Amino acid sequence: MNLPRLGHPNLGLGVGLRSVHFSHILEHHPSVDWFEIISENYMDSGGRARYVLEKIAERYPIVMHGVSLSVGSTDPLNRDYLDRLKRLAGHVDAKWISDHLCWTGVAGRNSHDLLPIPLNEETLAHVCERIRIVQDILERPIVLENPSSYVTFADSTMNEWDFLAAMTDETDCGLLLDVNNVYVSSVNHDFDPNEYLDGIPFDRVVQCHLAGHTNCQTHLIDTHDNHVVHPVWELYRRAHASTGGISTLLEWDANIPEFPVVHAEVLKARRYMRDGLDEIELASEDDTPIETAPSSTTSAVPHPATFVAVDAE
Amino acid sequence: MAKQTPRSLSAIQQWMQAVITHPAGVSMGADSDEARRHVDVGAEHLESVIRRSKALTSAERLEVYADAYYLRLLDCLRSEFPALLYALGQEAFDEHAVGYLQAYPSQSYTLGFLGKSFPDYLRETRPADIPGGPEEPNWPEFLIDLAALERTYAEVFDGPGIETSPQLTGDDLATVMRDHLATARLEMAPCFRLVRFSFPVHEYASAVRHEESPEPPEPRETLLAVTRLHFVVRRFELTPVQFSLLTSLERESTVQEAVEEVGQSLSDEEFGQFAGSIGDWFSAWTANGFFAQVR
Repeated sequence: MNLPRLGHPNLGLGVGLRSVHFSHILEHHPSVDWFEIISENYMDSGGRARYVLEKIAERYPIVMHGVSLSVGSTDPLNRDYLDRLKRLAGHVDAKWISDHLCWTGVAGRNSHDLLPIPLNEETLAHVCERIRIVQDILERPIVLENPSSYVTFADSTMNEWDFLAAMTDETDCGLLLDVNNVYVSSVNHDFDPNEYLDGIPFDRVVQCHLAGHTNCQTHLIDTHDNHVVHPVWELYRRAHASTGGISTLLEWDANIPEFPVVHAEVLKARRYMRDGLDEIELASEDDTPIETAPSSTTSAVPHPATFVAVDAE
Repeated sequence: MAKQTPRSLSAIQQWMQAVITHPAGVSMGADSDEARRHVDVGAEHLESVIRRSKALTSAERLEVYADAYYLRLLDCLRSEFPALLYALGQEAFDEHAVGYLQAYPSQSYTLGFLGKSFPDYLRETRPADIPGGPEEPNWPEFLIDLAALERTYAEVFDGPGIETSPQLTGDDLATVMRDHLATARLEMAPCFRLVRFSFPVHEYASAVRHEESPEPPEPRETLLAVTRLHFVVRRFELTPVQFSLLTSLERESTVQEAVEEVGQSLSDEEFGQFAGSIGDWFSAWTANGFFAQVR
């Protein structure tokens, strides 16, 4: 029998640390439970980002979330990257290290996107082998997130949830269940998101992600630029109940509002932690959008975009 | 076309990368030699690799990634080079940036290195038929200078600095000048850079950051010290004598050697002015974080 969350604590309700909020956090010390960082923005920094992170790590639990592990790539794993990741985890006492079930590039290139892999026995074996290597180097279980995706492969023979279940079973890695990604992919790939959750081994889920997306009418894009919509909250309600309580984090990466707005968004999760909530009570306090307004934009960019702008005179 | 199975994961990944990073879009990407070398299907038969959804064709689904690839990276380059973006306008900037991304695709796990070779790319692709020729400062030279300055800013901003180290003080400096001139070496701050340009691009870049509407400046040899103080990038325009002195110190000359080296090129009158100013210069440079420590 596995320990819930791989034995990790339930950290409560956290927010993704973004540079636009540095000053607010250092000045006001908001009562957020924990922060998640984009690892690559800090692992090489000798500047303000790293300084602020170390200050914040003195007060708050830190979780490291990466976008460049590329565990699904057929390029060799980047040992230097993993060493730097491990060093940063030690410096900030990271509670765990996560990344995505994806590849980011091949033949030495990095697209800086979270690209999907065909889901079949061959790719499962490939990913599992690399997870084991990563875990050996990091000397801890890695936690992998289900990505939003926009294509499915003719060579896939498995559902994503079956792939994730087999992957965690074979490697003892953890799962970061992004319920917005489940919803986005369900619309894009025409499946029932509840069927997805039915297949998730919840004892392996270490953390949940929440985020907003862009509704392109024919498909959804995981832009992290908006409020969380009602169907995603409903998936979160199920995930929370199924895990018995789970570290929950809101990501907001574009059109980022002031920190209190972002914090208030993740605090809405409390509404979905109570079973049998009175529907009338919910309706009276709920300002949650059913879906983001349809957008005609042709320029929606999926997460991640992790560039930090220079502060110069 | 019959489905080609089994296709290796490596082949599919190299194919998909070739398709979604092709500057002319998914169809051209799928028909490109590079893509067909890995999975030989072509744009007409994308469904044999990528399934369609109820709402989108295979090509339309791939276009989400193809559109995002350039948009994401262009957005990063626009953020790193705001003054170059202003000078060129977005259309011309993006044209150069797309060319750059093709010539120098990211090979790093971090976007912090994305713009590293952009000044080199602009230098390499500089038009050959500019009036006045390459010897005369001109518009391309201004753009290359601007890109080099903004890349320097990026490296200084996020690289190692001295904010969390013990600061060199005026008293430390006074001791050096009084007692250890012949032997003391001043270690430059790790964020310190000396740069030389053909235009006062620092003034132009600052004006853009302050949301003014600067006109391209006239050419003027511009010598700068760039460093970081309290996590903000600072730049200081230097005289040729100051630039020479700091260059000598950066090469790890002792303070006395650096002063003597610079002094050799000065007339008696100039040397008198130099000697009278040098104390104030060192005080200002120390206060502005040029030096990490005395060795």
